[in-house]
Amino acid sequence: MALTLTAALGETLRRTACRLRADPRSASLFKHTGLLFPSFERHRSSRPIAALSPSSLVPATSLSRPPWPEVQPLCPEEERRRHAAVVQKVNTHIANEDYGRLFAVVHFASHQWKVTNEDLILVENHIAAGCGDRIRMEKVLMVGGENFTVIGRPLIGKELVRVEATVIEKTESWPKVYMQFWKRHRFQRKRIVKTPQTILRINTIEVAPRFT
Amino acid sequence: MTSRGTASRFLQSVLRNGVGRYVGQLKRVSIVFSKNGQSSLGIREFIEEGVVDYATKNPGTVVYVTPSPCRIPRIVAEYMNGNVREKTVTSKTSKEISEILTQMANQSGLDIIRIRKPFHTDNPSIQGQWHPFTHRPPSIGPIKPRTLED
Repeated sequence: MALTLTAALGETLRRTACRLRADPRSASLFKHTGLLFPSFERHRSSRPIAALSPSSLVPATSLSRPPWPEVQPLCPEEERRRHAAVVQKVNTHIANEDYGRLFAVVHFASHQWKVTNEDLILVENHIAAGCGDRIRMEKVLMVGGENFTVIGRPLIGKELVRVEATVIEKTESWPKVYMQFWKRHRFQRKRIVKTPQTILRINTIEVAPRFT
Repeated sequence: MTSRGTASRFLQSVLRNGVGRYVGQLKRVSIVFSKNGQSSLGIREFIEEGVVDYATKNPGTVVYVTPSPCRIPRIVAEYMNGNVREKTVTSKTSKEISEILTQMANQSGLDIIRIRKPFHTDNPSIQGQWHPFTHRPPSIGPIKPRTLED
């Protein structure tokens, strides 16, 4: 519906424009006022505040443009150069060990955890590792420090990041009550559920200065 | 009861276990059983076969075996943080008892109650905690007292 309407409008506008351009008198009028349809020009005092783009008739408000600065698209050469510069900077930072504490977003046991050194994680299932064993978490989605962040697409390669954890404890959860009760039907079931739990302590997050 | 009506705690470890070395939290295990009771049959079998292997597998734990005339055999586990857990093992098989003991060795002595959050960090923010003026200048400049304009 909308497409056909605009097409028709475009057609009429083009026809009127052709007619005006052909006519020399109207051409001079166009040059003088700078408008295609001189009847539409208003008196200066009653004209609204100039919109951002001169063709828009709606006045500019705080919501006319997005609050973030407009980014001009770059040509691929320039983009590649800038990317290489950023990567070089990050690699030098890591090689000089300029970072303080690193964080990582890790996918483990069907959850994503934002993780640093020395913090604890509770996983609600049994893990095939004994207490005190050291584990490496391979699915790392993001790594960062104070001055840089590396976002994986969707994962970061195994030769670039290393996240290690220790299994501290393997217990059962507290006894959860699973109960059903229907009133006036003499129906009730009660079950006590204890799920296995594992507690991990994240020991280290290491990054290698091999980003490309 | 519901989780709101029972006690709860935050996820924690005993004395930063795992940051440096991992230390097994089970300090002492006392097995109390009777020499001639039928309910202690499983315990007696376990003591014949499996106790020595268990003790060698957990070198940091001390195992006490105390026969005494009792009707209900018990395993009393004491942990590094001082908690004591007692478990009755009447008429259990030797295999079940060894499973119970390995589970007790894998636990730390913290209370088995509802854990509020499945994670714990001492450093929640690394790049700085977000506040509404991160990446944004405050739109009106410094706030000054109004001046009368003639």
